Amino acid sequence: MSDNHHVNYKRVYLWLLALLVVSVAGPFIGILSVTLITAFGIAVVKANLVIQNFMHLRWEKTLAKWVLITSLALMALFVAGAAPDVMRHEGQNWVNVAAADAVDRGVVDEHAEEETDVAVAEPGVFDAVGQFNLICAMCHGSASDGMGAAGLALDPRPADFTDPAFWETRDDQRVKTAIRDGGVAVGASALMAPWGALYDDAQLDALVEYVRSFGPTGQ
Amino acid sequence: MSVKPIATTRSATGIPTGRLAVWWLLASEVVIFGGLLGSYIMHRMGHPEWAEAAVHTNTWFGAFNTFVLLTSSFTAVLAHQAAESGQGKKAAKYLLLTMGGALTFLLVKSVEWTIEISHGYTITANTFWSFYYTAAGLHGLHVIAGAIIMGFVAADAWRGEELQRVELIGIYWHFVDLVWIFLFPLLYIAK
Amino acid sequence: MAQATVDVQHAEHDVHEHHGPQGVLKYLWSTDHKVIAMQYLFTGMFMAVVGGFMAYVFRMQLAFPGSSVPGFGIVSPGEYNALVTNHGTIMIFWVAMPVLIAAFGNFLIPLMIGADDMVFPRINRLSFQVFFLSALVILGSLFVEGGGFGGAWTAYPPLSAQGMYNQTPLGATLWLIGVALEFVAFLLGGINFITTLMNARAPGMKAYDVPLVCWMIVIASILFMLSVGPLIAGAVMLLFDQTLGTGFYDPAAGGDPILWQHLFWFFGHPEVYVVLLPAIGITIDIVATFARKKVFGYKLMLYTTVATGVLSFFVWAHHQFISGIDPRMANVFMVTTLLISVPIAELMFVIIATLYGGSIRLTTPMLWALAFIAEFLIGGVTGIFLGASGADIYFHDTYFVLAHFHYTFFPIAIIGTFAALTYWFPKMFGKMMSDTLGKIHFWGTIIPFNVIFIPLFVLGMGGQHRRIYNYQHFPDLAGADFQLLRVIATIALLTMLAFQLVFFFNFLRSLLWGEKAPKNPWNANTLEWTTESPPPHGNWPPDQMPKVYRGPYEYGRPDREPDFWPQDEPA
Repeated sequence: MSDNHHVNYKRVYLWLLALLVVSVAGPFIGILSVTLITAFGIAVVKANLVIQNFMHLRWEKTLAKWVLITSLALMALFVAGAAPDVMRHEGQNWVNVAAADAVDRGVVDEHAEEETDVAVAEPGVFDAVGQFNLICAMCHGSASDGMGAAGLALDPRPADFTDPAFWETRDDQRVKTAIRDGGVAVGASALMAPWGALYDDAQLDALVEYVRSFGPTGQ
Repeated sequence: MSVKPIATTRSATGIPTGRLAVWWLLASEVVIFGGLLGSYIMHRMGHPEWAEAAVHTNTWFGAFNTFVLLTSSFTAVLAHQAAESGQGKKAAKYLLLTMGGALTFLLVKSVEWTIEISHGYTITANTFWSFYYTAAGLHGLHVIAGAIIMGFVAADAWRGEELQRVELIGIYWHFVDLVWIFLFPLLYIAK
Repeated sequence: MAQATVDVQHAEHDVHEHHGPQGVLKYLWSTDHKVIAMQYLFTGMFMAVVGGFMAYVFRMQLAFPGSSVPGFGIVSPGEYNALVTNHGTIMIFWVAMPVLIAAFGNFLIPLMIGADDMVFPRINRLSFQVFFLSALVILGSLFVEGGGFGGAWTAYPPLSAQGMYNQTPLGATLWLIGVALEFVAFLLGGINFITTLMNARAPGMKAYDVPLVCWMIVIASILFMLSVGPLIAGAVMLLFDQTLGTGFYDPAAGGDPILWQHLFWFFGHPEVYVVLLPAIGITIDIVATFARKKVFGYKLMLYTTVATGVLSFFVWAHHQFISGIDPRMANVFMVTTLLISVPIAELMFVIIATLYGGSIRLTTPMLWALAFIAEFLIGGVTGIFLGASGADIYFHDTYFVLAHFHYTFFPIAIIGTFAALTYWFPKMFGKMMSDTLGKIHFWGTIIPFNVIFIPLFVLGMGGQHRRIYNYQHFPDLAGADFQLLRVIATIALLTMLAFQLVFFFNFLRSLLWGEKAPKNPWNANTLEWTTESPPPHGNWPPDQMPKVYRGPYEYGRPDREPDFWPQDEPA
């Protein structure tokens, strides 16, 4: 690129700094729309100054300009396509309940670990009921009767913990083994997956206790 | 392997091959950062409660870093100007200043992040912070990569070799500056 | 191959001062685009065997559930999921893309535009090294503790994000890293292809003198580069969800799993055109040569391809019709999806119009090219059903979808590859392949292919959902008639796999003992046929680089003997 364009780089630089000062000052005025305009409007102006003058796009062949404009246009397209689902939390016949709850709850306490296991209600306390509803209920049903939505499609069907006959031939240890090592480990169907990787011994006991609570009361 | 193929010297479009490649590289980077920042914007607009987390970013650190990067862009374009007139050593010196800017930026960032982490604003504290660290971190990786490549270009320029590359690394560097020009208001001003 | 190249290089020694590293080191350090092309080709072919083996195992499980599969053992549900996941992932990213784009792009583009190499040979080498690393990572992911990732090639969170759901946390992370590295490799490679085609054409070669296959590969690279960015961002976020416990895709933490879907499919849809375009380019070049006819509408094809590329960015959510997107968006995407069938159909029509009135020679490459058209048409037409969002409510996630995309992907990745390999083998390796064995392999592949997938259409219409390891657990799908279809499909697959041995035998035998290939065995018009077979380092002597005087498809000229006018012959 030959030097037949004259840019006073220093002047552009000073403009950039001035704009920076304005954008930092913007929020102090306290009006949201002013803040947004100064923040992003100035960003666009600064970007344009850098692109045209420092990157010399002003003198570049049109091809390069089209390449960059295309990439920006595609980003706008992506946001336009995804925003109705991601940015909004309700639409035609749907509501994003979890996101709406998150907004209502406000920011989680900063020092809490936003852990991967969503079902844990508070750190440190194992929520057996929550785990059951999250993991087991899909097949066994939230009423624990073997009528979960996924369970209806299976053959053999998942165990019905509300059936007294089930408990006549099973004890806590067998239930615990089934949860930890899967159905195959207790001579039942492989459709019961092993969950031992998720729970330690005490947690398994808590789960067994919860499952047991659906059966006839008393051991 | 320093023999250049004849292919590299051709230019059917009129744009030198190296520069054409840099524009395509920038296009691909625009969509990467665009995807990340677009995702952030969509989430942020859907979650007004993140304002309570976002208020803890330090505008002065951000503004200072913006100043650092703008200055480094200035020195990068001065390097280009020097390279254009064949002054390899001068170009290399300006590139070194630019790299100094990069280093300053990274140092300030490290201090900033250390302070924030010590206050418990970790990457998992809140999804706002997850985006904050991811976006600024990805940008930071590009700063590091750019500075390293700039070192090689500066070394060649000092010897008067491959001066056209000064412009190319400059364009890349301006892009890194551009991303920050948008990150700054997103994460620090219009929080 | 190595032997032939070394021989030619030694003969050229007087003319060419500099000819690159020799021997084993050539494969580590060479920046010659032809060597790099071979590296991509052989890696891709190896990965095809891996992907094919996976298909063999899971189809055996489906046909004979619970039985031990010879060469593998009993297939557990987790292993089944890992097999189908990695079969898809490997076939798209480590077979279709490296062979069609990286191998043939690398080999053909410099030769077809009259250049001595790619414009950035060292970045070219780097791209292969990153790619090779990615292949090691994805293969490694299969053998780590917990097993390979089983969350489907689409890797939707929360299944892919949380080890507690996918049970393969290490495999999932390595899978993601492997895919990310592959993306980086193709970004690097893409910049090379695009810049080379745009800038490094031979003197006199105008844009419309470039063979269509080169345009197709470059437009595909552009589509890839512009669509993969958001997914790279998304992959970083998924990686952090997997390893750091962030909540980018966790609604309770303020994230959104549908964001991943949008990020994935914004890339995922253009990706299928990324692989389709090179296959179309290969087909049209072969058809022009063996119909001895100019392409029916070169500019038409070029502009239609660009239109397809642009439109391909507007259809992505048709993969998400029933996943919970806003139904009003579904309307928009249905319209654009049905629209995009028009330019693609037009490309097919141009190829057929090129055949019409031509002097057709049914060589093996031509058979493959014709098969591409026929099979891809079936694939495309069945896509229309899926593009209608109402019909998709039923068809989504059934084997109808699976059969549709195999009727498109198989022509692209497998038929396209065999077409290109049988056509350019003489140029690449300096030997001729056996046409008879080629034809046996052809029929032994095409007929079983249809016998595999037509039953799968039927099963899909019968309601068989995807990604289930044993249909005997589903009373509505466990009937003997359905199971018979599964067995038929599996036996057809076994037959098809057996016939691939014919190809490998033909390939190796020709490589080692084949008849020596002349410069231009097919009487083709484009520049790669004007140099030696295989071309020497630098492709032509530096003082004899070609100049171009006309277009690439000057076939069937009655005023010339033989009936074509090579591009580099002065007027």
